[in-house]
Amino acid sequence: MSSATAMIRLENLTKRFPGQHENAVDSLNLEISDGEIVILVGPSGCGKTTTLRLINRLIEPTSGRIYLEGEDVTSVNPDRLRRRMGYVIQAVGLFPHLTIADNIATVPNMLRWNRRRISDRVNELIEMVGMDPTVYAKRYPKELSGGQRQRIGVARAIAADPPVILMDEPFSAIDPINRGRLQNEFLQLQTVIRKTIVFVTHDIDEAIKMGDRIAILDQGSTIAQYDSPETILTAPASQFVEDFIGAGASLKRLNLTRVSDVELIEWPVAELSADRGAIREALLRSEKGSVLLLDGERRPQRWVNAIDLEHTGTPVPELGLAAAPAIQAGATLFDALNEMLNSLQGASAVVDSDGVYRGVIEIETIASAIRSMRADARRRYRGEEDGVPTDESTDAALNPMGRS
Amino acid sequence: MRDFLDYLDFRRDHIFDLAVEHARIVLIAIVLASAISIVLGVLTYRRDRIAALVLGIQGSALTVPSLALFGLLIPIFGLGFRPVLVALVIYALLPITRNTVTGLRSVDPAIVESAQGMGMGRLRRLVRIELPLAWPVILTGIRVSTVMLVGIAAIGAYLNGPGLGEDIFAGLSRIGTPTALHLTLGGTLGVIALALLFDAFYLAVGRITTSRGTR
Repeated sequence: MSSATAMIRLENLTKRFPGQHENAVDSLNLEISDGEIVILVGPSGCGKTTTLRLINRLIEPTSGRIYLEGEDVTSVNPDRLRRRMGYVIQAVGLFPHLTIADNIATVPNMLRWNRRRISDRVNELIEMVGMDPTVYAKRYPKELSGGQRQRIGVARAIAADPPVILMDEPFSAIDPINRGRLQNEFLQLQTVIRKTIVFVTHDIDEAIKMGDRIAILDQGSTIAQYDSPETILTAPASQFVEDFIGAGASLKRLNLTRVSDVELIEWPVAELSADRGAIREALLRSEKGSVLLLDGERRPQRWVNAIDLEHTGTPVPELGLAAAPAIQAGATLFDALNEMLNSLQGASAVVDSDGVYRGVIEIETIASAIRSMRADARRRYRGEEDGVPTDESTDAALNPMGRS
Repeated sequence: MRDFLDYLDFRRDHIFDLAVEHARIVLIAIVLASAISIVLGVLTYRRDRIAALVLGIQGSALTVPSLALFGLLIPIFGLGFRPVLVALVIYALLPITRNTVTGLRSVDPAIVESAQGMGMGRLRRLVRIELPLAWPVILTGIRVSTVMLVGIAAIGAYLNGPGLGEDIFAGLSRIGTPTALHLTLGGTLGVIALALLFDAFYLAVGRITTSRGTR
């Protein structure tokens, strides 16, 4: 990779804290390309957070250089440098005495944007993270849920449209279900904003899901491997990397395939307002055991089968089982499997980001992805191929029982 | 009792004037002490030992009996308004400085870090983030100091200082006469009423100056 395309380049970056014998970060060299999500992941104490804070110079390096867009920023004014990089931390750190709008406006205010432009931008950003500006702009952080605060934290970080966002365990404090949702939303947002993102986590699953590239760090922020998630899972560079990925490496690969990457099933559908006859007709025309009812905006509402239709006392919109929660097309196969196990249903409706019905994914689809991964893995462990898969989606190695 | 009410009615204007003077010197002292204390607090809250030293000095000043302190100030400032003002400022320093330090230290480090990470410089961080978040605690210190000063200022009359102490001391010097009790009681009740008024005032100030987001 040439340095011309590198958004961030770290050159022999070293940090030794006063009174310590070892370097917290030891001569780190790293290039991060424009528009890429790079994950720094490693065991605690490996120096990943220190590395992140060296990039915006919250910690000043002992030696080495930092380049941003080709410019040496190792000794420029740190406050000006930080206004060119969004910063999101685990605790979010919204200012509790300021409204959501004022929080988001922090950097634009410092950059002396005019009022009109700031308020337009604030509204745009609140909408962009999936909230309603008319409801939330004038609220205070304490009036928001943890997930909403995290969304606003992201909105605040991208307010002045910086080319780079630094994120330090941004989703770790959120409960697992909301975390998955926020991760998917963030990936969705990234397809629009295309920022260069440096993301620190201790969670290898999160790294695999979120990263375009992952840097696995050992003590002193030494890079054990810097590769795509695919390559790291299929061709770990060392025993350390293999140990870090852990025994569950197999199923982790389900995190690499998105629901939108697999072929969805055509399911019989009917309008929520349709009469029983029309629904029964739709059911008979297909080979499936049920019909999916959609509302006026084509959002999945109910699964209805022939037995449900016998219950003439119940109005149609209340028949059968709820189709919520539907799976977002951007979710991974891992999310989808999780959702199905939670709802105890063998199939789930898939929707786009506006909630509009796209198709149905069945547990068999996921099972066949797993089968093909296992076949691949078996070939790799038998030494039949070099381990780097050719197909990004389902043609991937799955570790069977080899490791456990 | 009836006599006392007649007395209050008769001396109404006089007591009111004394109360205004009393409130005035307390307010001036509090404004000066707040300015000094907040600056001291800001300068020391990140330096543990210096903060401990400053608070220690202020604390020992607070242990000097007020009458003794007033006496010590006479050779320097003479009698009247000035020595009383100086003594009141000295007494007011500790609660405000201590609360400024405590308030600034209790600001969530994550908030300060995110402010710094967004490119807020030291001064901007202090003015826009740290002081507003510490303000309710600082204001409590100011309120405690004020109520304390209302009481101490009464003793200032000993140095010919202004305020309700004038009546209290006048009464005390006339013990045995029928007006002694009236004078002293009138002055004392005035002091109490003034303290309560100040307290209500700070409640209102707190409401107005604290963000809805941190209440």
